Amino acid sequence: MTGASLGAGGAAAEDRVAQRLHDARAMFGRSLHIRTVDTGSCAVCESEIRLLLAPHYDLHRLGLFFTPAPRHADMLMVTGPAVRAMDTALQKTYAAMPEPKIVIAVGACPLGGVYPEDELAHGSLDRVLPVDVFVPGCPPSPLALLQGLLVAVGRLSEKVSGESFVGSSPGGLDL
Amino acid sequence: MSDIGARETTPGDQGKAGLGVTQFTLEGRCREREDLVAELARAPGTRLADFFGDVEEGGLVLRLVYAIESGERAYKMLDWPVVGGTYPSVSDLDPAAFVEECEIYEQFGVRPEGDELLNRLVVPPHAGHEFPRLGAAPPREGREPHAPHYVTGEAFEFPFGPVRAVAQESLYMGLVTSGEEVIDLYLLMWHKHRGLERRLRGMSLGKALFLVERAEGLSAVANSWAFCRAAENVLGVVAPEAVERARAIALELERVYNHAAAVAALCQATGLSVGQAQAEIALEELLRVNLAAFGHRYLFGTVAIGTMGRPLDEEVLSRQLPQAYGELRRVIESLWSTNSFMDRLEACGIVTNEQARRLGLVGPVARAAGCDMDTRRDHAFGAYTGSVVNVAVRERGDVLARMQVMAAEAEESVRLIRELARVGPPGDGRADGAGFAAPGQETAAGRGGSALGWCESPRGESLAWLSLDPAGKVRRARLRPGTFRNWRAFDDAARSRNVFTDIPIIEASFWLTVAGFAR
Repeated sequence: MTGASLGAGGAAAEDRVAQRLHDARAMFGRSLHIRTVDTGSCAVCESEIRLLLAPHYDLHRLGLFFTPAPRHADMLMVTGPAVRAMDTALQKTYAAMPEPKIVIAVGACPLGGVYPEDELAHGSLDRVLPVDVFVPGCPPSPLALLQGLLVAVGRLSEKVSGESFVGSSPGGLDL
Repeated sequence: MSDIGARETTPGDQGKAGLGVTQFTLEGRCREREDLVAELARAPGTRLADFFGDVEEGGLVLRLVYAIESGERAYKMLDWPVVGGTYPSVSDLDPAAFVEECEIYEQFGVRPEGDELLNRLVVPPHAGHEFPRLGAAPPREGREPHAPHYVTGEAFEFPFGPVRAVAQESLYMGLVTSGEEVIDLYLLMWHKHRGLERRLRGMSLGKALFLVERAEGLSAVANSWAFCRAAENVLGVVAPEAVERARAIALELERVYNHAAAVAALCQATGLSVGQAQAEIALEELLRVNLAAFGHRYLFGTVAIGTMGRPLDEEVLSRQLPQAYGELRRVIESLWSTNSFMDRLEACGIVTNEQARRLGLVGPVARAAGCDMDTRRDHAFGAYTGSVVNVAVRERGDVLARMQVMAAEAEESVRLIRELARVGPPGDGRADGAGFAAPGQETAAGRGGSALGWCESPRGESLAWLSLDPAGKVRRARLRPGTFRNWRAFDDAARSRNVFTDIPIIEASFWLTVAGFAR
């Protein structure tokens, strides 16, 4: 476990991440176990994550499972602005997970949208862990979380389609 | 109270009645204050609702907020300037003040007289003097009764947390046990401290409101409404009737979905998968009602100063709510006749009436222990002034009583929503939402002052005290969600002849958040 932030590592680090993600995706396409950690959320992201197991969304049908043990986990799902008081617990959880592993950041807090970097919080998760997928939203709905999970394991492309709203590109609107 | 030498002033912009807060500044000697606090602690129908510190030009001032619930029914505030770095213990006279005394020590470095051990709340054990606080750090490292916690004899300590079960908030539980029985339990919550009250200082009201909502997302409407009421009182803004009605509808929607979530958590804690799935279906449907009615599943951004941040689509309430709530009622009714479920709830996690009163508990936890209190009725505000709120009270104080209170409250909330939606022509809330960009930012300039706001969150009375500087920025904002009051009874409830596996059941029945406590 390096725990190095992405920003500092440069291109080499990015290659490592890309390789790791590729390995993980190949391995986890059909079955993935998720461990959650809260680093100072407002409790609403937790509510949405719990609903992933509810009948409306039923995570299990996709071969995705939550696990209470980091040693059984392939993916770390983190909420909150990476409060510094959680540093030890977060790093220990990450270190206990076997390689290869994926980190998914849930909500606006770990994206840096709510708290700035200061003495109390890192402000965004990628300052302390190599984040593979960010799921934006405050909170992201269970459907957004599903989308993020499927992107993380390579079963869905990040963009479903790209089209311009203005101009004469195919599918675009002529305004 | 005024015959004890108190000078009576009204807060904020003088003479703007409406919030019913009276402020006392005591000029007399310390002894007189102590007598007054002792007298208020004994007075029937008077309850210490909050106690916090505020640094003014002259130094630290302690503010005690009392809720008077017999006769005149008002909130009264007692100001207590600290002289000489210490003050006579309030918790000796009124035990409800203990957690706040610990908080004042952590944040301002001032402790009550005497040598009583103070608990750690939100400052991590490894934090030094430079740790960001509201005031000065304590002069010396305070002794702690907990952590490190040494247990001898037959018992041992089972450490649990801060990373817990799937999608649970970070919380450290020190469970002291001899194998199965819970002998003692203590909680550490500093893992989630985000220093919100400190962050709010110097913020414009619009920005502050954004953070206030995120202090405890599951009570976003209640906490932001309390904050907005304080702000409106300072600024002299009166929210139109339709806005007040839409806010009340949002607050009741918040209560219904929270109680549904608590029922789902209770089913999960008792291992009842079918009940859990059914309760989660109800919860998801209720969140979709929120989304359809206000445009956000957790009603963020709904309450704004003097207006609605999001327009209300009232049609949704008659079209979707009955079916979604019907799901919840069906689950609850099946649960009442599920013996394996009921057996786990009865006589589990008891909070006695005496504990509830002494600790100053609020909300469903207090009501399930025989405390007949609800700010919507006792300190009616907004749209509640015109309606009757039936308050559910049970006497047993166990998990079952709490669930019964929640079930009755959800029913009452749906009735209130129906009543509120009937009052005005549909679409009123929308018409009033013209000034969407929190008008506080513009009108705040040049208006200093302070005021208290309150609201009844799904977890009980939520208070917010706000002081604005002349530039209209926040000078000091005190947030006291219901959650902050109720965690203090959790260890008592867990100790009352319970075993390990009862802990998650008790936690679900309290339905609190760590976020709201650690803020």
